[in-house]
Amino acid sequence: MKQKFMTWVKSRLAVMGYALPLVVLSIICGLSTVGAEEKVPVFPQSTYDAYIIYQNLAIFWIFILGLIIIILMKLREIERTQKLGADNDNEDAPRLE
Amino acid sequence: MNYPRLKHWLEERYDLTDVRKFAKSKLIPEHRYDFLYYTGGITLFLFIIQFISGMLLAFYYVPHIDHAYKSIIDIVTKINMGWFFRSFHHWGAQLAILFLFIHLFGTLLVKAYRKPREMIWVTGFVLLIISIFFGLSGYLLLWDERAFAAVRVATGGAGALPVIGEFIKIFLRGGTEVTGETIVRFYAFHVAILPLITLCIIGLHVLLVQYHGVSVPTSLEKNKTSAVPFFPNVFYKDMIIWLIVLGVVVTLAVLLPPEIGIQADPLAPPPENIKPEWYFLCVLETLKLFPGEILGLNGETIAILCVSTGILFLFLIPFFARKANRGKKSPLFTSIAVVYVVYFVTMTVIGFLS
Repeated sequence: MKQKFMTWVKSRLAVMGYALPLVVLSIICGLSTVGAEEKVPVFPQSTYDAYIIYQNLAIFWIFILGLIIIILMKLREIERTQKLGADNDNEDAPRLE
Repeated sequence: MNYPRLKHWLEERYDLTDVRKFAKSKLIPEHRYDFLYYTGGITLFLFIIQFISGMLLAFYYVPHIDHAYKSIIDIVTKINMGWFFRSFHHWGAQLAILFLFIHLFGTLLVKAYRKPREMIWVTGFVLLIISIFFGLSGYLLLWDERAFAAVRVATGGAGALPVIGEFIKIFLRGGTEVTGETIVRFYAFHVAILPLITLCIIGLHVLLVQYHGVSVPTSLEKNKTSAVPFFPNVFYKDMIIWLIVLGVVVTLAVLLPPEIGIQADPLAPPPENIKPEWYFLCVLETLKLFPGEILGLNGETIAILCVSTGILFLFLIPFFARKANRGKKSPLFTSIAVVYVVYFVTMTVIGFLS
């Protein structure tokens, strides 16, 4: 009985896991039009356009996160070189030119 | 990445040794409040994106009473990505003012305004005032009923100031009422006069920060704090934060595009439950606290005088905090800073909820 109940709870939670983000997203999107007396479409109306826009937003964030990871890697390398003291200019060092 | 030919070309013409030395020698102190340093950089970045998105919108906006509203509708509905750039400009402005307030209150709390950095505070404060006027002038350009009512209230409030109030009101409105003249005037302020002044003051502010260096809070001044070079360490951290801010502005622009109300009609009664932009809520709620008449004098005039005195005191705070200027701890001015921050946040929240 208890196991059955737990399975039921788990299945409900799984449904909520999918539904909750959608509900939150629809509330956020809905908030943007609250109080508009005559609704002027401030966002593309067709579902296809909206889908393309959200898809591009996700790609944009992937691009940003990728750039951040690259900069972080570069920063760590710089900090490691600085700790070793290898970044200091040596005026007397012979030059190749 | 290395471009020896470009490097050689530049070095042949310009002596870059001093620039390189300066970039390497510029140090940023590391301490537990150093996150406040980055708020200045974020504000600068948001100003840059405002300039770019504003230029794009200016291609299509028509500053005329008969066309202003229609041109905005055209930007949003007909121009490719117009809805996005309008929304991007809107959210960029909101975040720029938010980060300006965070930067200002942070500076106030750690007393970074103390001697010899008084002029950095003064230029930063002027930038905040200009940014608020940027917001107000940009808001009217929409020419919907809310923008119209908000500008009528704001310019009317300025008119309640004794002696110069009427002059300011007429100067801003371009007449006694908010009309098509006001749109032209606000457009000139928004796209020409204010950007020019802003560029000059940002330049001066950044120059002064370079000249005086970054401040360390009084409580940490005696302990030896470590410092990291601006280039490349802090520069790279700035880049990371700017990328995150760009992502946040783009996300807000896509998920929460700002609404457009019905076209302004100067003869129609003002809409109910009208609220100004969030950064005016504190002043508005303060004005509401005053009765219509105090000891036979006009309550509104007294309220505006009190608010103006509070703002003027904040503006001149580096010249009053003498103990802090001598490098000593000043609990009085810390308390004053806390009162300002708590009051601003509380009144803004009350204004938002009421």
